[in-house]
Amino acid sequence: MRKLTLTHPIRQLFLAMAGFAVAIALIECDGLASWANHLELGPLRTAAVPVTRGMRWAVGWTGAGRVRAGLLTELAHLGWTDDAALLAEAAKAPQTTGCAVAGQGAVAGAVAAEGVTKGKAAGLAVSLGAAAGADSPLAVQVPRVTVLPPLPPIAAGKPRVVALAGDSMMAVGIGATLLRQAADHRNLRMVKVFRSGTGLARPEVFNWQDEYPAMLGAEKPDVVIVAIGANDGQGFQVDGKVLPYGTDEWRKVYQARLASYLAMVGAGGARVVWVGLPPMRVPVYDEKIGMINRIAYTVVSQDPQGTWWNPVSYVGDEAGRYREFVTLANGHTLRIRSADGIHLSDEGASLFTTVLMKWLDPPARTAAAMPAAGAVATVPEPSPAAQKTARPRHVALRRNVRRRAEG
Amino acid sequence: MLFPTVEYGLFFLAVLAIAWSLYRFPEVHKGFLLLASYVFYGFWNWSYVPLLFGISLFSGLVAQRIQRSRRSWARRLWLVVGLVACLATLGYYKYTGFLLANLVEIWGRFGPAPRIEVYSPLLPLGVSFFVFHAISLLMDCFRNKVKEPVRLRDALLYVAFFPQLIAGPILRASRFLPQLAVPRNPNAIRVNRAFLLIAGGLFKKVVISNMLATRLVEPVFQAPQSFGGLDTLLAVYGYAAQIYCDFSGYTDIAMGCALLLGYRFPRNFNAPYTACDPQEFWRRWHISLSSWLRDYLYFPLGGSRKGRPRMYLNLMITMLLGGLWHGAAWTFVAWGGLHGAYLVAHRLWARIGWQPLVRWRATTAWKWMARILLFHAVCAGWVFFRASSFALAFEVFGRLGAMRWATLATGPVLTVLFLGLAGQYMPARWRNAFEIEMGYWPAVVRGAALAAAIAGIEILGPTGVAPFIYFQF
Repeated sequence: MRKLTLTHPIRQLFLAMAGFAVAIALIECDGLASWANHLELGPLRTAAVPVTRGMRWAVGWTGAGRVRAGLLTELAHLGWTDDAALLAEAAKAPQTTGCAVAGQGAVAGAVAAEGVTKGKAAGLAVSLGAAAGADSPLAVQVPRVTVLPPLPPIAAGKPRVVALAGDSMMAVGIGATLLRQAADHRNLRMVKVFRSGTGLARPEVFNWQDEYPAMLGAEKPDVVIVAIGANDGQGFQVDGKVLPYGTDEWRKVYQARLASYLAMVGAGGARVVWVGLPPMRVPVYDEKIGMINRIAYTVVSQDPQGTWWNPVSYVGDEAGRYREFVTLANGHTLRIRSADGIHLSDEGASLFTTVLMKWLDPPARTAAAMPAAGAVATVPEPSPAAQKTARPRHVALRRNVRRRAEG
Repeated sequence: MLFPTVEYGLFFLAVLAIAWSLYRFPEVHKGFLLLASYVFYGFWNWSYVPLLFGISLFSGLVAQRIQRSRRSWARRLWLVVGLVACLATLGYYKYTGFLLANLVEIWGRFGPAPRIEVYSPLLPLGVSFFVFHAISLLMDCFRNKVKEPVRLRDALLYVAFFPQLIAGPILRASRFLPQLAVPRNPNAIRVNRAFLLIAGGLFKKVVISNMLATRLVEPVFQAPQSFGGLDTLLAVYGYAAQIYCDFSGYTDIAMGCALLLGYRFPRNFNAPYTACDPQEFWRRWHISLSSWLRDYLYFPLGGSRKGRPRMYLNLMITMLLGGLWHGAAWTFVAWGGLHGAYLVAHRLWARIGWQPLVRWRATTAWKWMARILLFHAVCAGWVFFRASSFALAFEVFGRLGAMRWATLATGPVLTVLFLGLAGQYMPARWRNAFEIEMGYWPAVVRGAALAAAIAGIEILGPTGVAPFIYFQF
């Protein structure tokens, strides 16, 4: 075999690559460590974590990590970051400028700590011991029939504050539809406390314990509607021990995390409606989501402020399985799921958000009757009310609401 | 595997090093790139690699048949077979749900609508792009634009070549296959330009596009009723900047990566919002797609050769189908239709030969007016493109008149919005001058500069969140 001789341009390219690799290791060792820590449990993470940790140890003397952390803090002061917790932290801390960046020792130290995401420390983390103590038997299955308990009447001039919390299951479909529908309800004020790509399984990646209060700000919600857990079908690490998804230990820790999240969103007496995750298209994933639903139901059903709300009677088939299309009684066919087979489309979400809206802000004429009846999700097919408003005809919907209000 | 990820960075560094180590052995080199492309695609979902392989193998075999057939009818027959298979694949994966829902909806108007018990298939990543590559291979062979006999391995690599696999640019077989036919020339590496393209693309994608998406566009398009006219207007402008930065950023990275591997990709965006008329806009926006549609759809329909009414009809058909290519929804068709109408209106306007008007159209003042007018017309189209339904799109238009102070116009948002739109007016000579200047730097320093730029982009970008594991399903 001929010996490979590096011609000039290739040598140049390889030298540039070497310069890139060395510089990125020096400048971005903290960013790379954070990336490795965020990876899903698996061979890549197993290899990447010790390598990036070694890099950080080797180049720690350069102070690049402190500069990076200082820059992030400065950017937070400027309002650049989208991290609510970091913004809130920056708002509390006095602003520093110029050469004072390196002096942000405490913040920098915290940011550079193991497993942080641009300034967040672990919060929902639950130790194995604590999780074992908080364990309770897992529900065998979740009920399809759910009742929303009556809410106190809305005081005149004081709108009901409703927080929409969760991951992309809230952001896509449910949240967007509720926000649009609520724009016509003067008695309601919606607060967005959701973020896509998050969950409860990996607090070292995104810690809702820090982010939720920061995103909520000064708002004191009366009702919190939660849809979360679609990203949680993955293993995690606790006390240095890897807990693969679905094991008993995993379940106990996840259950404890879910309970502490529920306690957090329900703090201040808010009524919490936990919207169960809908059936999923891919069977393996659907099985995972089924378990997450059972865990959530187990926890929520034991909380006097919490209510489990199962959307399956609206978006599942007769057997509670995934379906993509719904043909309404009026002959209209709706595509109720998005193309990924995971999220609800706006049309799909509107099948049951109209019911939630009626519960949150009962129409004037039926307000007296609503508390007694509550809102029930029992029917296998969409309710006539939902069918009527299922099409995204917001103008028509608004007219209906106005008519009801005027009537 | 998506470009702005560490995984892709590591993958690309490894591929680059190995590919140039093998460049003296062209067949091994191409085989390695093909393997790397399948790894790249399989990182998202291995179960779709056979589809990618199957489409490229099939188009390669049919292209060979077309080239070898002497009789005109046989060539035409093979072309039709190839096109039908390619379009059926695209139709099955992309439009099944759309067609089913619409067919049942229409059925429901005449009688009891049947229930749809089937699912539409999950959309394979980049299917629109690799099917269009396959079609380009067939068409270019049919038109004798590919001079050399098609080699199967080259055809496989042409369709699956990883820098263009997910989001283009759409390469032409007639221009890319000749690059594959010759051994790589190390002198073709343009490190400086590639580094600038990669850094610029990452900045557009990670910083500008992401910030505009999360802090301006999404909130307004989620619930336009909650915002006033100023916020809505900013969100519409924001989406114009977001989609440009997102898409052009992605293809810039693709071009940069290809350049480092020694391949040339055509330019895909050329400051589209500086265009003065719709025709010019489509010569600057997603150039590889618009020229693909022109060559493989508009011209075969007759183009402008069959009289004016037919030309207008052809324009409308091309743009409507172009809209549908972007997504299986009527809002995309409306977007395409709107652009078709713009093109027709512009042709009619350009025909007016009244001399004062002709003179006025040549003035700088008119050019700026036309530029602003066109930008807003394009923005109107983006509303349909972004909205999930017509009701939402019209709600957005309706909110433009609502008087309320802007709540989303923060300093960072306005800064990136300005950069996203005004950046297109940056003279090309600035970038060229910088590229020349970089040539004087030692290679190691150039690499370090790219690392510093990427670190800066990472810091300015959104906070890290968990991997979006949905992709695995």
